[in-house]
Amino acid sequence: MLAPACIVLLLLFGGAVVGLVRSSLVTLSGAVSLDAWRGLLADPGFADAARFSVQVALLSTVLAAGTGLALAGLLRSRGTLPRAVLALPVPVPHLLVATSAVLWLGPGGLADRLLGALPVELIRDHGGLGIVVVYVYKEAPFLALLVLAACGRELQAREEAATVLGATPWQRVRWVMWPAIRGPLLVGSIIVAAYVVGAFEVPLLVGPNSPPTLATFAFEATKADVIAGQGTAAAALTLLALFSVAIVALAARFARDVEGA
Amino acid sequence: MRRPSAAVVVTGLLFGLPLVALVVRAFADVWRAPALLPQRWGGRGFDAAFAGDDALPALLASLGAGAATTLLALVVAWPAARVLGERRLRHPALIFMLLAMPLLVPPYAVGLGLTEWFLRLGLTGTAASLVLAHLTVVLPYTVLLLLSGFGPEVRGLEEMGRAAGLSGAERLRWVTVPALRPTLAAAVLVSFLVSWSQYGTSLAVAPEQPTLPVLLLPFVGADPQAAAALSLLFLVPALLALIAAVRVMEAPA
Repeated sequence: MLAPACIVLLLLFGGAVVGLVRSSLVTLSGAVSLDAWRGLLADPGFADAARFSVQVALLSTVLAAGTGLALAGLLRSRGTLPRAVLALPVPVPHLLVATSAVLWLGPGGLADRLLGALPVELIRDHGGLGIVVVYVYKEAPFLALLVLAACGRELQAREEAATVLGATPWQRVRWVMWPAIRGPLLVGSIIVAAYVVGAFEVPLLVGPNSPPTLATFAFEATKADVIAGQGTAAAALTLLALFSVAIVALAARFARDVEGA
Repeated sequence: MRRPSAAVVVTGLLFGLPLVALVVRAFADVWRAPALLPQRWGGRGFDAAFAGDDALPALLASLGAGAATTLLALVVAWPAARVLGERRLRHPALIFMLLAMPLLVPPYAVGLGLTEWFLRLGLTGTAASLVLAHLTVVLPYTVLLLLSGFGPEVRGLEEMGRAAGLSGAERLRWVTVPALRPTLAAAVLVSFLVSWSQYGTSLAVAPEQPTLPVLLLPFVGADPQAAAALSLLFLVPALLALIAAVRVMEAPA
């Protein structure tokens, strides 16, 4: 019964991974060569892209988790309407949020018109702040909804019990609430980090021309050199895919630890 | 009715305003800075977006790929979702890992990897290449959503149907599908939405046959009004998904 889905996934996803590795190792003439890998690892542009991707992913994840927690705290004791409002950005495609960000935050955009001029440059800035803004806007509600889902009536009852037993507000948060929400928050955050590391269309729209993220670095490689670029792109994306798989494994590990705790 | 609190209003504005801005931008034929509202309203954005020969095929490619991927994903996911939903596996962790990976490996990497084979099979740029590439990313979502609908209750209803003499097809039509309706609706919506939103996979496997998002991106720099107009089209399924989700949340359990 599992066979159809597993076979399709193994063929398509497994095929994609094998295809990536193959095109990083096999040249157009059919010869096996490590040139693409050597070139990639010697390219300072690749190191910059990797550093930039990780930096943007870390900053986005930390800010999204903080904002998500704050939103969850704000909306915890309210009804379905606020949660529905909070869910607004979740199904909206990243590309649309990025387009909206350009209209709002770009030069001559709505924020400029409302405030005169923005104190910091957000769209296409070198630090990648525009990318961070888009991901925080998109992922903070997702994390808040995960946290809210863990804050059910059962948790409320346990908090009330702790209060009756004389726990201070800080002790309630530390010993009752945090253990209940840290699992979904950590696993959700790891998912967000894996997602942002692979960011593609968002940096194409709101990121700087240089440095690129890893995925846009690969895309630019295919544009710059149609023949050798394919191998370089495939090698860069293989590393990126490996990195994402490692993050998934980490999330699975965390989920088990938290469950077992 | 209770008055909404400040927190709700702020959250609403923060998430609602960008959408309003998108609508205003799409219909602002003349909108010189620093004016807050357009000087002239009109439909130039849609005209500009559809002026080239690409827009209609792109819209149709997105719709077609979304529909075909969703249908295919449902058929393939159904038996797996049943096994996982009824908890018949003793060690489902490996299956869940397999399902999680395509969701987190960057879509552009998946697309470029598939292109290596599609080139050999003569599939690059075809509708089939789009559907297969999207299916890689969509299928895990479909399985994960569908499995929450299966369980002892549905199983019990199906047993009753069997006892009442319904054939397999009749049971599916009159028992299983109605019992799974909310889950099925969610799976269809999300599957379509994930396919509809694909950028990296589509760009990699079918650069000559752009889908709506692939068409939209260059417009953002070149003609913001046309970009906003295309964005509104692009937003429709997401809004439908949200309306459906709210209705499900508000419906009595």
